[in-house]
Amino acid sequence: MADLSLPGSTAAKRTISWPRIPPVVAVAILWVVAMLVVAILAEAIAPYGVTKMDLRNRLSAPGNAAHWLGTDELGRDVLSRLIFSIRISFLIAFGATAISAIVGTLLGFLAAHFRGLAEQAVLMLADFQASMPFLILALAVLAFFGSSLPLLIGLMGLYGWERYARIARGLAVSATGQGYASAVRQLGAAPSRIYLRHILPNIASTLIVSMTLVFPEVILLESGLSFLGLGVQPPMTSLGNMVGYGREYIGSAPWIMLTPAAIITLTTLAVSLIGDWLRDKLDPTLA
Amino acid sequence: MARYFAIRIGRAMITIALVVTFAFVVLRLSGDPALIIMGPEAPPEVIAAFRKAWGLDDPIWMQYFDYFGAIAKGELGRSMRDGRPAIALVLERIPATLTLTIPALLLKLAIGIPGGIFAALHRGSLIDRAVMIGAVAGFTVPSFVLGLVLVLIFAVQLGWLPSGGQETWRHAILPVFTLGIGGAAVLARFTRSAMLEVLGQSYIRTASAKGVSWRAVVLSHALPNAAIPTVTIIGFMVGTLIAGAVVVESVFSWPGVGRLLVVAVANRDLAVVQCILLLVAATMVTSNLIVDFLYGFLDPRLRSREAAGAH
Repeated sequence: MADLSLPGSTAAKRTISWPRIPPVVAVAILWVVAMLVVAILAEAIAPYGVTKMDLRNRLSAPGNAAHWLGTDELGRDVLSRLIFSIRISFLIAFGATAISAIVGTLLGFLAAHFRGLAEQAVLMLADFQASMPFLILALAVLAFFGSSLPLLIGLMGLYGWERYARIARGLAVSATGQGYASAVRQLGAAPSRIYLRHILPNIASTLIVSMTLVFPEVILLESGLSFLGLGVQPPMTSLGNMVGYGREYIGSAPWIMLTPAAIITLTTLAVSLIGDWLRDKLDPTLA
Repeated sequence: MARYFAIRIGRAMITIALVVTFAFVVLRLSGDPALIIMGPEAPPEVIAAFRKAWGLDDPIWMQYFDYFGAIAKGELGRSMRDGRPAIALVLERIPATLTLTIPALLLKLAIGIPGGIFAALHRGSLIDRAVMIGAVAGFTVPSFVLGLVLVLIFAVQLGWLPSGGQETWRHAILPVFTLGIGGAAVLARFTRSAMLEVLGQSYIRTASAKGVSWRAVVLSHALPNAAIPTVTIIGFMVGTLIAGAVVVESVFSWPGVGRLLVVAVANRDLAVVQCILLLVAATMVTSNLIVDFLYGFLDPRLRSREAAGAH
């Protein structure tokens, strides 16, 4: 994890040659951007409301002029539900990834700055989190508190923080030993300034790569919980909810389940591909 | 050596203590445990008796220690739904879960390890690519999607296998495959990279250079060294034997621990949830401990490094 390059060479390494993006990664980026646009413009592009029923067109197959992706057993438009599901699933995944990155980095910095007991406590919590299956911890919290959207985002935000904390701590410890950090410190900068203005930009690329690795896992986790009926609650809908609900009709109307399942899979695949590529580009030291 | 084991056992105890603390904190934060565990319809005298029995009127730090004491004695509460001890409910579901997870683990090992070793030895070959693509798919396709697609193909379309339930051994085929395929891909990728790392080491080159046959180099130099990191991930898989089938059991209506957990969470049957949480923690910690012990035997360097770092 230690940066072996000389302090002066980091600036040169940072000028990334942007043009050569492999076609697969380009497609993955396009997919994620398309999903983001769909999530942001959901109201504008969804042909129907989430709960709007068309009772004369129940369980109609895809390819229908009024309902491109068909309808479910209440005559609700699958495409519209899909669009709003993408919005909720992305909202949770982005919110959670941001929370865990901020919390993890902060704890990592605190550990690096104070060392001693604080560091031991953070590392112990990180070990604990890494050794327990997160799904079980999440289910326990949901059992005690019930499910709601803010709780779900906060809960998913606890996923993966230990990875940022370990990375931030390790990199901050090695950065403190480098010339630039001690130079600013001797100029009288406060610790918060050193960490946020000087060390953070230098380790940002590694943290961003970690975010692209955690993001698909959060999507999988949320869709799993929602699939079990314990995540996002109706009338709100998420991709996992749609799959869980569509499985009742797997024999008669498989499209209800297959379309959201495909979106989940393609999105996690796309973000993982982008993450792998970014890792090779920005930080080959990450395993 | 003794020190190495003592540190590992100490860490395991700390993890268990953290899980118990987690359960305690979450339980206290979510409201009055007496009302939650006994239910809102419980008569006041029952609530009062519960408060007294669990010491809910004591100061919080005393409650915390009492909570530890109760768990140490195996008092894990009763299910809100049928009044039976939570631990009994959980224990009777374990065989059903193991019926899925043990064959699935064997499947993962049987496909994943040879696949990973082969891929590493024939880097860039067709099998290597298949392993890498399979590993990506194993990570990106959620288990419930894989399970439902298998149901769609083999139960709905072809009608070869049942889609859910637990009546015969044929009912176990789809869930075992759903659990096994994804894990096999992950294990293959891990084994492959462990092997590649070892094959790039200088002692492999030295062994080849002094005329040892490639076969012997692989068998007696590469494999034992690649086994060390691979054991970690296998240990993690063993640790999830009880908790790793939550989603898959739900897909296939399999009456195991995972299904019990989902139903208990939906009904907020807290004693059962707490009991499963502690059981899972105990399993994970035990398997991690076994892995650490195996490390001690597999990798003599680890022992001496620990001893060297002791001063």
